[in-house]
Amino acid sequence: MNTIKLYLHSMKMLLKSQLQYPWSFCLQTIAQIVMEGGEMMAVLLIVNRFQSLNQWTGGDLLFFFGIMSITFYLTECFGRGITGNFAALIRSGNLDTFFLRPRGIMTQVICHAIDPRRIGCIAVGVAALVIGSNQSRVIWTMPKIFLFTEAVLFGMLLILGLFLIEAVFAVHSVKSIELVNAVTYGGRSACQYPIDAFPGPLRVLFGTLAPFGLVLQVPSAVILDKPLMGIDGAWAFLCPLAGVLFFAIMYFVFQKAMKFYRSTGS
Amino acid sequence: MHYIEVENLNKSFTVRKKREKGRLTREKTVIHALQDVSFHIDEEELTGYIGPNGAGKSTSVKILSGILTPDSGKATVGGLTPWTERKKHVENIGVVFGQRMQLWWDVPILDSYRLLKDIYKIDKNDFENRLEELTDALDLKELLATPLRLMSLGQRMRAELCGSLLHSPKLLFLDEPTIGLDAVSKLKLREFLQKENKEKGTTILLTTHDMEDIAALCNRVMVLGHGKKLFDGQLPDLLSRYDTQRTIHVRYDTAPDFSSLPESCTLQKEGDNYIITYAPAELPTAEIIARLQQAGRMQEMTAQSQNIDHLIARMYREMDL
Repeated sequence: MNTIKLYLHSMKMLLKSQLQYPWSFCLQTIAQIVMEGGEMMAVLLIVNRFQSLNQWTGGDLLFFFGIMSITFYLTECFGRGITGNFAALIRSGNLDTFFLRPRGIMTQVICHAIDPRRIGCIAVGVAALVIGSNQSRVIWTMPKIFLFTEAVLFGMLLILGLFLIEAVFAVHSVKSIELVNAVTYGGRSACQYPIDAFPGPLRVLFGTLAPFGLVLQVPSAVILDKPLMGIDGAWAFLCPLAGVLFFAIMYFVFQKAMKFYRSTGS
Repeated sequence: MHYIEVENLNKSFTVRKKREKGRLTREKTVIHALQDVSFHIDEEELTGYIGPNGAGKSTSVKILSGILTPDSGKATVGGLTPWTERKKHVENIGVVFGQRMQLWWDVPILDSYRLLKDIYKIDKNDFENRLEELTDALDLKELLATPLRLMSLGQRMRAELCGSLLHSPKLLFLDEPTIGLDAVSKLKLREFLQKENKEKGTTILLTTHDMEDIAALCNRVMVLGHGKKLFDGQLPDLLSRYDTQRTIHVRYDTAPDFSSLPESCTLQKEGDNYIITYAPAELPTAEIIARLQQAGRMQEMTAQSQNIDHLIARMYREMDL
């Protein structure tokens, strides 16, 4: 409870400090909308050209795009502490400060940043989702709403977990490893399309190692009434738990890595 | 049992050099930041911690404050081991880094303090009282609505100090707190620290390169060099070992006759002034003054002990640091 209170208080304060520069904030938010809008245009172009991708109609593709954008940018907005530049956190010595306060390191890392500019990207995602579910004539029943919420929440945990890989590397070498971006930002770009459109190796990557497929796409497919890889019913509700598992493992690894933290200069 | 107990603390870092051309592996060097360092500090002590850059001062502060885990050795603060019982331990300590800001940059410092209140779970009344007390003592009342980024260095330092004392820690670590401050700010800060130590009984461990800080504040001083403890005791005792020379500047109305001065003194002429350097151990100061008076009609005279920085520099040289 106390941790949530601290998180909310921190977010309020960080938002206030972001709004110290209102012009910069507005312009950057607009830039984000344009950027994410461009990505959405790419989906629309594909639909225009090919009508469908495998079994997926244009509406379905917009749905996949929407759920990915919403999940990814909600994570970037509220989990900026982790998805931001963790290496910089170490280099600047801010991580030292976290050690000096009687709260968990992870709690403080999450509480130290917010990125409200992402609201623009989230809005684009919501628009895509609404248009997509209308075109595909999704009927939102209670189980479907539940499944959607579950997918988004656990998807956020998965993304946080993926970014934690980068954080752990940063602790070890005090430098960020670009390779990890392949599964974080790369995962977002790739998995805004259903993974059965990809060749085998990529399907394995995003189905098991960085399981966007299980966490976001299986539920999406069920909501669209076109089960992905034959996963339906109760299994569809279990699949997003892969995100929780992924985060739990990375959380554990992160805590271990903190034992080896060696700080920088004085 | 002492408040802080440190026993045989060791910490080393492996530094990898840049890979040389034509080689597959990088050369590694091990830096022993701390080697078998032991000491203890009692409650309410105000201890100075000195040593040249890279001596291991910051490393030991980081271990004692729970940031780093040592390779071997024991350390307890009030019975708690900093790196294993971190959360419990840091409730009792405050840390101020002279070169690193811990408050939030873009918001008024009062907002920062309110967040610290939540982080440390400080009771509302305690917080209000303590804030009142600290802002009074540190002259921060008018600055509470100002963001950190708009403050001068001196103001920022005071704001940081206030932030790290809000939870009334029993132990305060100060890492070069007066670095870059002007004379007035320095004096004020020292005065405040002295008061905090006397009135609240806060134990203070001060790391600094400013010997004036040490001289003004600390009765005990520890010297660290190459990761080893080289001295632990009273500052005057440390200085008397190296304070073996004095200088006297004199000016005469007429040309003086220095024939009665012993040979061990060195004499220099600088404009109208004569500078005499002597060792008080061999020749008492009173004696040399008497002889200088005999030398001619004295117009003016100043006696100086050697600058404390020179003494420390000499000490570092002799200890081969």
